[in-house]
Amino acid sequence: MPEVVRAEMVANVAEVNVKIGDTVEAGGALVLLESMKMEIPVLCEVGGSVTEIHVAPGDVIQEGDVIAVLQ
Amino acid sequence: MTAAVATSEKNTTPAAKPARPPRDEDPRNPLKRLARLFDKGTVELLTPFDECGFVAAHGLIDGTGACAYASDPTVQGGAMGDEGCRAILVAYEKALADGVPVIGLLHSGGARLAEGVLSLHAVGQVFAMMTRASGRIPQISLVLGPAAGGAAYGPALTDIVVLGPAGRVFVTGPEVVRSVTGEAVDMDRLGGPEPHGRRSGVVHVIANTEDDAFAQTRRLASLLGDQGTMNPDAVADRDLAGLLPDSPKRAYDVHPLVNGVLDGSGVELHPKWAPNIVTALGRFGGRTVGVIANNPLRLGGCLDSVSAEKAARFVRMCDAFGVPLVVLVDVPGYLPGVGQEWDGVVRRGAKLLHAFAEAVVPRVTLVTRKTYGGAYIAMNSRALGATRVFAWPTAEVAVMGAVAAVRVLHRRKLAEVADDLRPRLELELAAEHEKMAGGLDRAIQIGVVDEVVEPAATRRALAAAIAAAPQRRGQHGNIPL
Repeated sequence: MPEVVRAEMVANVAEVNVKIGDTVEAGGALVLLESMKMEIPVLCEVGGSVTEIHVAPGDVIQEGDVIAVLQ
Repeated sequence: MTAAVATSEKNTTPAAKPARPPRDEDPRNPLKRLARLFDKGTVELLTPFDECGFVAAHGLIDGTGACAYASDPTVQGGAMGDEGCRAILVAYEKALADGVPVIGLLHSGGARLAEGVLSLHAVGQVFAMMTRASGRIPQISLVLGPAAGGAAYGPALTDIVVLGPAGRVFVTGPEVVRSVTGEAVDMDRLGGPEPHGRRSGVVHVIANTEDDAFAQTRRLASLLGDQGTMNPDAVADRDLAGLLPDSPKRAYDVHPLVNGVLDGSGVELHPKWAPNIVTALGRFGGRTVGVIANNPLRLGGCLDSVSAEKAARFVRMCDAFGVPLVVLVDVPGYLPGVGQEWDGVVRRGAKLLHAFAEAVVPRVTLVTRKTYGGAYIAMNSRALGATRVFAWPTAEVAVMGAVAAVRVLHRRKLAEVADDLRPRLELELAAEHEKMAGGLDRAIQIGVVDEVVEPAATRRALAAAIAAAPQRRGQHGNIPL
């Protein structure tokens, strides 16, 4: 089952911390978002290999947007 | 196995139907399940173990009295008939008389079809009993198999629902859904751990194994049934400051702070539903407390409609059972947006205001980093009747951040200056604004913060405040908000 990581809220993408092919452990940071004047890291829950990244620094993302997919 | 289950003599009424021999080999046997719930050798049956589909018992959990009822899925799928429902009522009557928790072990297809409206009436009487007992005795439901219809609404009326690995909760099963709407869905998707753990909030605790499900249920019964007494002298201070990141803008996971305040890790309720607020029961100074904490890692720690509702129900449950509250505040505000407004954030957020304002248990607040705006009020503020409000030295208490405030208050003035000079003016105005309107000093001056406390001295301060407050409990039920 792929782990699809989605945005929980409207935010600006400040950093993308992984690239396709990276292996990320559960709890590892995928991207850093800015919202509510805070820097909020988005962590993966299960972990795995990053197969898709849908955001880039500077993007504005909406609630529900896919940030990344892990396999 | 059944040797551990002694049937009390006075309650062994000779049933009209022949008693069925216990099926030792079947792990769903309710006697086996009751034996796993209670301390070894302490189970006494309150009703006969027959064909009625339910059996009631009492015994000890961690040495403290408790009552329970268990469905018998080996008889008509554990369906609830007139006689079986009466067994549930027996468990409740005993629990109410003894003032002890009552635990339901559920694995039932709902009302007995063959009994028709009689079974619906009986299930309704169980609901009425659960409602009358609400707020008077702790009610915990452990769902060990599919629980449909009446067996789903029963747990929903209780204070805490624990879902075992095979537990599924739904009003109507996949077959009915398919025949009525044509929607193809399986039991997992309809009422398994994923939907109820994350989306619906029906289930408070999800266990990966049956052993864990029983262990968590026992722990919750013990926390609510034997709350202990607060001993502030036994509380050692720990430096909690290291649990926050260096940058005040950086989000972090609040769980280590929650566990750092408690004596040891607690039982978190609804960990994946509305994760922007953490609600947990645990021991603090040896006494059961409820902890509510904003979690900045999720939604920046904002309050929203769902988290306000989750916290409100938790506050009301703790208040009803006399469990003091520790409120850890780091909140940027209510989550703004059309989605929230349409989702009823005004109505649902008001529940949290109501719950705190109504609560009479000792309830102490600690502002760790910031508390802004409407969320400031909602998070157990002085105005809502907090027992004591503490703040760490660098905490901000304000309507909003100072720069954001001056952008509103001095819009015209800021628009008149050149772009390159604007940031400097903003900072100057913000400093001035903070002196006038915000800042910790001002909050202390007007009495909305009682005391600035160092992170390393926080545990003792919180414990002393709880111990010094009158130990009261709210006189109300715990409606499933």
